[in-house]
Amino acid sequence: MNDLLVHALLFALLSAVIVLMSAFYSEPDDSKALRAFPRRLLFFFLGCAALTGLMLLAEHTVASVA
Amino acid sequence: MPSGEPNVATLLTWFLPGAGHLYIGRATFGLVAFVLVEGLYLLGLKLSGGMGFEFLQPELRGPFAPALAPELGNLGALIYHMQSYGYGLPVPRPFPDTVVLGTTLTAISGVLNLCLMCHANFEARLPKDVHTGWKSPALPVLLTWICPGLGHWFQGRKLRGTLVFLSLVGCVVLGTILADASNLSRERHYYYWGGQVMAGAPALLLQLVWGAKSLNSYVPYGEAGLVFAAVAGMLNILAMLDVYGFAARRWEGSDSETEEPARSEDAANASDGGSAETTPSATAEVTA
Repeated sequence: MNDLLVHALLFALLSAVIVLMSAFYSEPDDSKALRAFPRRLLFFFLGCAALTGLMLLAEHTVASVA
Repeated sequence: MPSGEPNVATLLTWFLPGAGHLYIGRATFGLVAFVLVEGLYLLGLKLSGGMGFEFLQPELRGPFAPALAPELGNLGALIYHMQSYGYGLPVPRPFPDTVVLGTTLTAISGVLNLCLMCHANFEARLPKDVHTGWKSPALPVLLTWICPGLGHWFQGRKLRGTLVFLSLVGCVVLGTILADASNLSRERHYYYWGGQVMAGAPALLLQLVWGAKSLNSYVPYGEAGLVFAAVAGMLNILAMLDVYGFAARRWEGSDSETEEPARSEDAANASDGGSAETTPSATAEVTA
């Protein structure tokens, strides 16, 4: 299988666990925590994407040796 | 009136297991806790020959480097360990056969003392003659460390407990498979192991079974597996905080699930001419 795809799947899986645990931590009610899970996961992915974009930008500008 | 200042009880327990309990007037409990937690650390020191910190590579060694380990939960013992053994002799020497068991025991001692700190902190908020007993918020914390999700089951939150168990234990097992068990060695991954051990018995059992496995080839997803297992352990700290908060709220009667019965009981007492000051804490084990 494509290596990038495997890493993306592993990232998605670990993200889901991190978001689930944070949802449980911040919301005592199980049903509310589970309802908020998809939205939280989406925000987590968007945050990670933004961070990745910033890192790539920094790599190609500040850290660029070309 | 509280039996002591919670922060003082917590800090005292951090420096010396049982000292916080002595401070709040629980001398017997404190003595038993001291013997158990410090005994475990000393046994670990004996079995490992005090060489636990020598797992750290020379370039990582520093005055605070060992503090990023579960032993930090037992600060007094950690300082004693550092002062008495430190990083050992400047020349290489073989580790004793029981070094893995020894360093695991010192780590467990640190985690147990964290649970004791929770116990001392909560007991300090209560009057001297009121004890939480089996309803102590520290018990689900300990159970959650032993097995992720067990503390939630103990509190009757079975759906949450099951999901926590599947998520965290699943991550530890998947991480171990991905890393071909290379994540289970403290000597190989000192800091990651520290995170992983917070997942409790599942991580320790895997270490017991596969911890001695040698690596003969490159492990393609070794680092990913390492991250999975270590993150699962650290997320279990969130689960431990969750069960502590739930138990504390339930004890204080502010939890929504327990609030209504408590109110109706108060109302019944009031209508019967009973004391309106009845609170859920009145169900505590009151000792003379």
